[in-house]
Amino acid sequence: MKKTRTAGGLERVDAQEAQTLPLEPRSIRSGLRLSIRGRGVHLRGLRRPPKGILRWLAILGPGLIATSAGNDAGGIATYTQAGAKFGYELIWVMVILTVSFAVVQEMCARLGAATGRGLLDLIRERFGIGWSLFAIVIILIANGGVTVSEFVGIGAAMELLGVSKYIAVPVGAVVIWYLVIYGSYAKVERILLVMTLVFFAYPVAAIMARPNWVEVVRGAFIPTFRSDPAYIFLVVGLLGTTITPYIQIFQQSSLARRHYGPERIDAYVGAVFSNLMSISMIIATAATLYVAGHRDIETAADAARALEPVMGASAKVLFAIGLLGATLLAGAVLPLATAYAVSEAFGVPKGVNLDFRRGKVFFSLFTALVVIGAALALVPGLPVIKLLVGVQVLNGILLPIILIFILLLINDKRLTAELKNTRRNNVLAIGTLILITSAVVVMLGSQVLEFFGIKLFGG
Amino acid sequence: MVMFSQLRRCDITDDQDRQAKLLDLSIDLLDSDYPPITRLFFLNDKNKKHWLPWEQVRTIDLKSHRIGVQNLNERQQLVAGSLGKDVLLGDDILDALVLDLQNRRATRANDLWLEGDESRLELRAADTSFGGFLRRLSGGRYGRISKSALCDWRYVEFLRGEPDAVRNGEGYHLRVARLPPGEIARLTDMLPYLHAAELITLLPDAKAVDALEVLSPERQLQVFEELEEEQALALLTLMAPDIAADLVGRLPTKLMRRHLERLPQLQSERIIDLLRYPEDTVGGIMTNDVVFVRANLTVAEARKKLKQPLKTPDFVYIVYIVENEESRRLRGVISLRNLITADDEQQLEDIMDPYLTTLNPLSLAQEGAYRVIDSHMAALPVVGGEGQLLGLVTVDAAIVQVAPPSWRTQAPRIFS
Repeated sequence: MKKTRTAGGLERVDAQEAQTLPLEPRSIRSGLRLSIRGRGVHLRGLRRPPKGILRWLAILGPGLIATSAGNDAGGIATYTQAGAKFGYELIWVMVILTVSFAVVQEMCARLGAATGRGLLDLIRERFGIGWSLFAIVIILIANGGVTVSEFVGIGAAMELLGVSKYIAVPVGAVVIWYLVIYGSYAKVERILLVMTLVFFAYPVAAIMARPNWVEVVRGAFIPTFRSDPAYIFLVVGLLGTTITPYIQIFQQSSLARRHYGPERIDAYVGAVFSNLMSISMIIATAATLYVAGHRDIETAADAARALEPVMGASAKVLFAIGLLGATLLAGAVLPLATAYAVSEAFGVPKGVNLDFRRGKVFFSLFTALVVIGAALALVPGLPVIKLLVGVQVLNGILLPIILIFILLLINDKRLTAELKNTRRNNVLAIGTLILITSAVVVMLGSQVLEFFGIKLFGG
Repeated sequence: MVMFSQLRRCDITDDQDRQAKLLDLSIDLLDSDYPPITRLFFLNDKNKKHWLPWEQVRTIDLKSHRIGVQNLNERQQLVAGSLGKDVLLGDDILDALVLDLQNRRATRANDLWLEGDESRLELRAADTSFGGFLRRLSGGRYGRISKSALCDWRYVEFLRGEPDAVRNGEGYHLRVARLPPGEIARLTDMLPYLHAAELITLLPDAKAVDALEVLSPERQLQVFEELEEEQALALLTLMAPDIAADLVGRLPTKLMRRHLERLPQLQSERIIDLLRYPEDTVGGIMTNDVVFVRANLTVAEARKKLKQPLKTPDFVYIVYIVENEESRRLRGVISLRNLITADDEQQLEDIMDPYLTTLNPLSLAQEGAYRVIDSHMAALPVVGGEGQLLGLVTVDAAIVQVAPPSWRTQAPRIFS
């Protein structure tokens, strides 16, 4: 039989004789050899998640990118402020938070896998309508606040690039709204993620700035307590900006409960990487700004200076690009996730694939969050960095409430069955809860006392 | 007549003026389209849950928030299992996800609309409006009742969010099975995966397969793994081989082998054959459930011969003509229309179309998909090195391949 390449069957079939294999055979994966009913078969078409090194790359790749993107405007502001104000002193908080963050992150992933449902959805069914309204309000405040801070970040980034925020923020809001509603967001997301890669300069900057490593280690492992309201304020800010995993349980999980397992490692690895990144931000800022005596970050331009050891004169521009990518990402995801979760709790149709008539509540919520977030970010004379840190502090204050809900839900056997919290999990999680709550109580307490003229700390 | 949130504010009083606070009501879900209230639940002075049958109710006075019953002392304590198949309005149905079949959506019952009188009070509708939300929060004081936001209970399917509930024999109306498969699948896609698995478990197998086939691959896998093995096998047997292969190929190896060994021979071999091709090739997107017939037959003979093979496959609009059943070497095609309209005595070879475009199973899926779409045919055959018919790529499968990712789950699949 003659083997020739036929031109897509323009001959009669019998004249065609045989459809030949392609001239250049494609390389084929080896696949899996299996014996089924005693017959050996070679299966190449299995849709398997990668294993071995590939699996680690698959986890770490997106994980790393998500980590850098997770450091949105509020995160960058808080970490750099912590480094500039107190040098290496606050690193110990981040070390402790790594454990807490990993535990909380893993609990959220597990709750998602066990129930396949969002947080507000679960609260509505388990605790009834009153609690669900309470949780909705909390989450609207927290995420609304962060949304404002993202738009502030967009404005700050564009001002670094020489564009007035009064132009940049409205344009940013329209762009985000359009991209999400008209579905091209997924494509743009990758570009934004690439932009945030700029932040990987922080670990490099942290090393190139030649920090005093003895002090770094001391800061990391020997807790210091200062009777300075700004100190405790920043501790709560660090809590609020680091532990924000409940974003992921806003959305329905794509995991199935029977296969929960590897995700545990993913959650832990993600938490460690994310916090290493944050710590490098603190070190980079401490080694440049703090050491130079520049103790208060007021504008984004100040924060960009920490990158100068790596990037020199272009630090400002590159920082602005990274910040823009991160804030646009978060500025789109947060309102979307919030609108999604709230619609779910109310039981109204949700999703960007709906037309407006069918998803009135969903679209109105999303639009309102974007519009109000952008509008508040435009208030003239905002102290940018103070506001960003303030929002994270607010998140820190609300965090214990959300954590209590998560803990109650994950310990509910009817929901999570064999994926229930183990005792060790509970100890760590409750420890985290106590830690956060006491930090919040101390901060709020000192502020209340100060209001009445009593100074707890001699700051 | 009354909203459940308003009724819940009532006290229960009996002829001797003993009082108790109404907690909840239960219904017998399967009794009729509009299930009647069966029992009243309340706490006694020792804070233990008790119930009275609805027959005890004498009067309902909403103005003074009073439900008059005969004798509170005839109460019975609520112990595990004494609820039977009854469903609690407050604990179970309120706030739970329900399927509103009229509007084809998953929603939540914010409040419930009851109608009737002392002798028989029925659950008539679920209130899904924001007003219902307000009314609940205010204990029935505020929140306008808008009739248009009420979902008629006749068109509501109540799910428990636990696939085991079906297997434990909980009651279901199975109203959802009346919808066409695509709509069931859309509804399933809106639900959390345990609800989705419950729904699929509930449906008769033929419907369940249709709905399962349309789900997005990740969702399909999640739902599939919640099914019991017997049902899983039954569904795999009925499923189009290409979709079944995609699904089986995602299962853990042990489970995959188990299923492949227990499936009926024919389906199992079809799936294995498809799994031989990497997923980015034409072989990876084709189906091998093809209707073909030998060439040297008359039209009448062919019709007779095809009667059985035409019954099951999803794609039947083109019949492929092969040299003989063993070699399966492709000779031509004939559309179902031509086969039916042709004269009985004509030879298949004379009326078939011998000019055809074929695809190679190992060429890129993307290229093959464009060839199918460009050909404006419902499907193109896939032919192996010896000229043997291996399968076909339908236009549905091709569109899914070339469509932007966000469309893929929405693209309707008609042929496969």
